[in-house]
Amino acid sequence: MIDMWKFTLRRILIMIPQIILLSILIFILAKMMPGDALTGMIDPNVSPERLEELREKLGWNDPWHIQYADWVGGLVQGDFGQSFRFKMPVTELIGERIVNSFWLSVATLIFTYLIAIPLGILSGRYNDSLLDQTITGYTYLGFATPLFIFALVMLWVFGFMLGWFPTSGSVSPGSEPGTFAYVMSKINHLILPAIAMALIATVNTVQYLRSEIIDTKQKDFILTARAKGASESRVYNRHILRNSLLPIAAFFGYEITFLIGGTIFVETIYNYPGMGLLFFESITLRDYSVVTAVVLLFGVAAILGALLSDIILSLVDPRIRIK
Amino acid sequence: MAFLEVEDLKVHFPIKGGIFGRTVGHVKAVDGVSFSLEKGKTYGLVGESGSGKTTTGRAIIGLNKITSGKVMFDGRDITGMKSKSDVRKDIQMIFQDPYSSLNAKKRVIDIVAEPLRNFEKLSKKEERIRVQELMELVGLSPESILKYPHEFSGGQRQRIGIARAIALKPKLIIADEPVSALDVSVQAQVLNFMQDIQEELDLTYLFIGHDLGVIKHMCDNIGIMYKGRYVEEGTTEEIFTNPQHIYTKRLVAAIPDIDPKKRQEQTQFRQEVKAEYEQSYNDYFDDEGLAYQLQPVSDTHLVALPEKG
Amino acid sequence: MEANKLNTNEELKTHKSPSGFSIIWRELVRDKLALISLIFLILITAFVYGVSFVLDQEEIVTVDLFSIHEPPSEEFWLGTDYGGRDIFGQLIIGTRNSLSIGILVTLMSGLIGIVFGLVAGYFGGHVDNVLMRILDFFQILPFLMIVIVFVAIVPKYSIWTFSLIMTAFLWMGIARLIRSKALQEKELDYVQASKTLGSSNIKIIFTQVLPNITSLIIVTMTLNLAGNIGLESGLSFLGFGFPESTPSLGTLLSYARNPQTLEYRWWIWVPASVLILLLMLAVRNVGEALKRATDARQRRG
Repeated sequence: MIDMWKFTLRRILIMIPQIILLSILIFILAKMMPGDALTGMIDPNVSPERLEELREKLGWNDPWHIQYADWVGGLVQGDFGQSFRFKMPVTELIGERIVNSFWLSVATLIFTYLIAIPLGILSGRYNDSLLDQTITGYTYLGFATPLFIFALVMLWVFGFMLGWFPTSGSVSPGSEPGTFAYVMSKINHLILPAIAMALIATVNTVQYLRSEIIDTKQKDFILTARAKGASESRVYNRHILRNSLLPIAAFFGYEITFLIGGTIFVETIYNYPGMGLLFFESITLRDYSVVTAVVLLFGVAAILGALLSDIILSLVDPRIRIK
Repeated sequence: MAFLEVEDLKVHFPIKGGIFGRTVGHVKAVDGVSFSLEKGKTYGLVGESGSGKTTTGRAIIGLNKITSGKVMFDGRDITGMKSKSDVRKDIQMIFQDPYSSLNAKKRVIDIVAEPLRNFEKLSKKEERIRVQELMELVGLSPESILKYPHEFSGGQRQRIGIARAIALKPKLIIADEPVSALDVSVQAQVLNFMQDIQEELDLTYLFIGHDLGVIKHMCDNIGIMYKGRYVEEGTTEEIFTNPQHIYTKRLVAAIPDIDPKKRQEQTQFRQEVKAEYEQSYNDYFDDEGLAYQLQPVSDTHLVALPEKG
Repeated sequence: MEANKLNTNEELKTHKSPSGFSIIWRELVRDKLALISLIFLILITAFVYGVSFVLDQEEIVTVDLFSIHEPPSEEFWLGTDYGGRDIFGQLIIGTRNSLSIGILVTLMSGLIGIVFGLVAGYFGGHVDNVLMRILDFFQILPFLMIVIVFVAIVPKYSIWTFSLIMTAFLWMGIARLIRSKALQEKELDYVQASKTLGSSNIKIIFTQVLPNITSLIIVTMTLNLAGNIGLESGLSFLGFGFPESTPSLGTLLSYARNPQTLEYRWWIWVPASVLILLLMLAVRNVGEALKRATDARQRRG
């Protein structure tokens, strides 16, 4: 247990420079972006001299480390600047979108595990059967299919051709927030993008689970349990699954990195107003204060996700603590 | 002055631990070893796994970092020698495992020519001739220089390793258990061959091993190591006929006898030595179970015993 | 046994043993699916590079307002896009561009990854520690976003700058793999032997260790190629790959972001999707077959 705390502490200590480096990198990117916060806010009739004065006043001519410190200071207080496009604080803008992305991610994760666990178990338990071959065929295709193509095809087939699901937005226009219909409409808008992402995301987990189960099946303690007369389902439920499912839970954090990449594609394709679409829109509109904020938030989310997974994994498999 | 002189050699490996991976302790693989070796002779370094014998050999040639102590070779201090010095040419090594010590992706000519390419500027043709000569010298067909190591048997591979080691005409060869990975039937062949080239090329061997039979066959002088320290040193004669340290006695008693009639007798003898070992363990080892400082018994014979008085 | 026989046969002929590559090659040819994939890849590569010598990229990407959104016909085999540009021509040029960039990025990221991984693994200790922290950091970045930001703010970008930006965030996987292999290799006696024979570290890394991990490198790079083709088309799909004047397969798919095109004009985006899928599957098949071949070799050796 002490080992466990030591590992966690060391892992957190590694994370701090990562977050600092990330913020520096994003700060540099933000500085490289053409124009600054004033470009969008100011009346074009204002004279260049006046603009220069304003810049001076806002500290834009200070040395970079002072600007960086100011910027970080703002971030810590939740000040991400102004969106020149939407004329509102970035924080407010993100607040709306982040909720949508959160629900999309939750739905994706639920579908991922809902698909992956049964498929992985069946495939591993009855390996080399026809069922296993079908599942393996699916993972084979899923590995090679880029998410955006798959999402497009799903939208085409289920959204346009069959008309089963809405093709854009996160809720039907005109629904009253708080009503049952509103919630149902929200869910209805989530399903297709979430399933599209889950069907691709699940491939790794299915394969992992399959090979893990096939490996465990051959282990001595399983053979012993069988020899002692334990029924097949008991062997699976009590021994094999307990060994194989824990690592899967641990991969949860790493999935966040995939979700981040995925949301950009899926939200763009399904026109779903979340963080990914916000990122896409604001970079197209050159609304750079929003871009900076979104990249920073996603970066921190990925770092925290990896931290979470590393810690869970170290609980599950003590070997990785000895590094 | 001796040909190779090792003075109070220490090789300690740090143990990392704690949150920041600080050094929290040391493994004392070699802990104060001294010996000297005459030109043209063979010196045997004996001990069980983990006794530090291999680390000693590797430290001399520069594969392990020396913590403290001094290594003198041919009158020069080579303690911290750089990789491409001349001394490197003069000291070579034969490795224990003839499988992993030859690069599986290289043809024999590239393996044997590697030292030549580092130290001698030869033309392609000269190099080929040299490699073929070396192959002949170690008793392998000169035509097989384009083969890969996996096409040779263990004994043949060890000969390739030897050909590579003698390519630069070294003066000292450190042989780290050169036959322990080979079939018993091949061991004698390789050992006799090593003795032949010793005479032919005027080589000095530092022979590291755990098989006392082999050591007895090969060596003029022997040092026995235990947990990084010497327990006894002497001529082969002295070690085998007059072992002083209880650890040496036990090792010598453990040599199998081929004569089946003596088997019973020997088993009984071993039991006695074992009993003596257990009884007098505290007289021969200190509180930590390590050997004491060496005390002279005769001019050539040294034993680790507590200081008298 | 069979391979042994082959060996001796060949020895008689050439007096030189077959190298590792020829064995892998034989295994690859034996695998039907991989062989078909390989032939498909060779044919399509030869075709798109060959035809694009004849085809004029300028002409294909020139807007023709009299033939906007035409369905497939004899004049335009796969119809035209919103600018009246021939889809089939764009498909060929797009495949060529996608392949080129995929190969370029794979080679460049491979090179960085191999050197980085070898140095970290071979030297180990503090060097390894520092390099791995750098790698960890790169690996954790939301790289897709950062690539997009780079593409958006780099004022004038070409095939080269685009590949460099992608490369900068794609070398970590192979580096990690090579590093862990190098960590194992450097403990083997052949590396120690090279040290005692007077070879320098650089020489040992590149002439002794590297040949022992080539199969791993080839397999990984092949599999990476598939991923990189997908990634490039994804970026082009979002509009952060090449400009329309240099179409890639992703550019054709990006037209499907317009719901009308997606719903009614399948000829614009379906062929490109199928082609991307086939390319990725074929490259993967070859990669997986290579992986099996090298594994089998290890088992036998």
